[in-house]
Amino acid sequence: MADETVDVLIIGAGASSAAFAWSLAETRMNVLCLEQGDWMNPSTYPTTGMDWDARAHGDFAFSPNVRRRAEDYPVNDAESPIAIAMFNAVGGSTITYAAHFPRFHPSDFRARTLDGVADDWPLDYARLEPYYTTNERMMGVAGLAGDPAYPPKEPVLPPVPLGKLGETIARGFNALGWHWWPSDSAIATLPYEGRDACVNLGPCLTGCAQGAKASTDITYWPAALRRGVRLKTRCRVREITVAANGMVDGAIYYDADGAERRQKAEVVVLACNGIGTPRLLLNSRSRHFPDGLANRSGLVGRNLMFHPYAMVVGVFPERLDGFKGPTGCGLMSHEFYETDASRGFVRGYSFELMRGVGPVTMALWGLSSGLVPWGSAHHDAFATVFDRTAGLLAICEDLPDPENRVTLDRELVDGNGIPAPKIDYQVGANSRRLLDHGIARATEVLQAAGALVTSSEAPMRVAGWHLMGTARMGTDPSRSVVNHWGRAHDVPNLFIIDGSLFVTAGAVNPTNTIQALALYVADTIKQNLANLFD
Amino acid sequence: MTDDLDLTSDERHTLTCVLDELIPRSQDGRFPAAGELGLVAYVGRRMRQRPSLRATVRERLAALAVDARGRGASGFAALDHGDREAVLRQHEAAAPAFFAELLVEAYSGYYQHPRVLEALGLEARPPFPGGHRVEPSDLAVLLGSVRARPKMYRPG
Repeated sequence: MADETVDVLIIGAGASSAAFAWSLAETRMNVLCLEQGDWMNPSTYPTTGMDWDARAHGDFAFSPNVRRRAEDYPVNDAESPIAIAMFNAVGGSTITYAAHFPRFHPSDFRARTLDGVADDWPLDYARLEPYYTTNERMMGVAGLAGDPAYPPKEPVLPPVPLGKLGETIARGFNALGWHWWPSDSAIATLPYEGRDACVNLGPCLTGCAQGAKASTDITYWPAALRRGVRLKTRCRVREITVAANGMVDGAIYYDADGAERRQKAEVVVLACNGIGTPRLLLNSRSRHFPDGLANRSGLVGRNLMFHPYAMVVGVFPERLDGFKGPTGCGLMSHEFYETDASRGFVRGYSFELMRGVGPVTMALWGLSSGLVPWGSAHHDAFATVFDRTAGLLAICEDLPDPENRVTLDRELVDGNGIPAPKIDYQVGANSRRLLDHGIARATEVLQAAGALVTSSEAPMRVAGWHLMGTARMGTDPSRSVVNHWGRAHDVPNLFIIDGSLFVTAGAVNPTNTIQALALYVADTIKQNLANLFD
Repeated sequence: MTDDLDLTSDERHTLTCVLDELIPRSQDGRFPAAGELGLVAYVGRRMRQRPSLRATVRERLAALAVDARGRGASGFAALDHGDREAVLRQHEAAAPAFFAELLVEAYSGYYQHPRVLEALGLEARPPFPGGHRVEPSDLAVLLGSVRARPKMYRPG
């Protein structure tokens, strides 16, 4: 059964597509988005019930393999020390992200020129800067101007409060003379554009019932829909179809009832994240593209980058009220962000403060770490850690490696029989040194702040939140999948706008950059409408 | 809470005793034991969502009874505290996957119970809609030395 032909078909309704659709809508083109998930109902988010903390390990777990919602697809990540974390819904993983929202540094776009590794991006910070600004206004970013780690920028809202825990850690950084700054956070600290102000619920990572966290289902999407964009949910795309002339002409998908349908389109835009996009490209084989759509370079799925995380937890002698306030937003440090050859590695990492956690999560962490045993010692052990911990995450830059990749699993399939992605990934030698350095420095900070004991995990297993590099940008068709504005080298009416585009990973959370890129691609399309396929 | 495990009353009593050993009453009495809170129903409901574990629960409870009789007791519940713990340690070693699942459910159920939350000094309510009040910090003071630093970023 065929639907009408649309001008632009977007696959996926997460961070990037929301921004892209909102921008492109002003052209009055017929824009349709297909999303395999559904609209979320914030009144059913875990924080509305007594079981909120336990649900973070169940139907709101980071891993789709644990969550196993009908709209999720499985991921074979057994061959990776880092497990995939994502969410499938309108809003995508912004539903469950921490909303830690820094920009990339200018140097992140010039790794080859500055440090002799990886590749330069085909654009620079200055090119993206206006799109960062627009994105931060649309998402409502809280922060504080004057950060010496960045070129000047003006957050639109005041920063999230540090709280007792944040102040404690800030004093640790100050004692060492190291940089820290209130986090750039996509959280409304004041009422903003119809969103209520944050009330410091705490567990942002299971959806924000308050509506203060900027997930795109409550930011860009309502604005895009008002501009005429259409969004169909519970539609899972199986493949992109290719016409006789080698151009894409639409997609085949399964609707909510499982019926196979065809959607024709003049332009197709992929926004399925750094795993879902290569999966769909690789599953779209045709006479023109026997190895997967837009894959003449052989690079689709390759150069997968995460941010390997080192998690260092300090236990303090007094309670810190750590469960009060946004979990992953408080303060950040870029002391070790830029390359310093004396450290024994290139590039760097940032620190992100993790506040305390709820009682269930603390108990389960204590159980897995051996700090909170069962039996007669249980209560004393729990009392020594509950609300007395603070965590520092070292978010380490991952260099691209073509052997780190996404392929299609030969056996595992989703609910519609579509092959699942398989992840082959190893932490590189440079990243290992970054992780070790991060553990040592985080331990120093926590001790300077007064921690009695510390423990660490690196790389964190359940930390594959940032999915990048699997259809990267570039000017050379033999070394990249898309050009400098997201258009596939091999297919002039196919665009990619998600984290797959990233040439390098930087060392901060990528969502702000993903969305700035999506806005940039949309703007460039608008500027080239007359000769879009030339 | 309903018990979906379809356990006999003896089995339910044994599981309650097991939970009491995993998380016992605190010495000062502020924290109740897990079985005392009626968590057998919670654990049962969670185990029911994993059919393979449901059968395993009954198998493990039966094995506990066998071990208890080997120690001269009529059942696990009849053992004293020291023997109960010793038997459970044996079972933890013999069936680590099951035991780990049981612990996860016991810990999860226990630390969301209103009586436990209150004993921890917390309000027994969900985070939403009340949230929490967090006082603002004096950033001018805390950030003074950082603000004074020269720019740290490299030009692109």
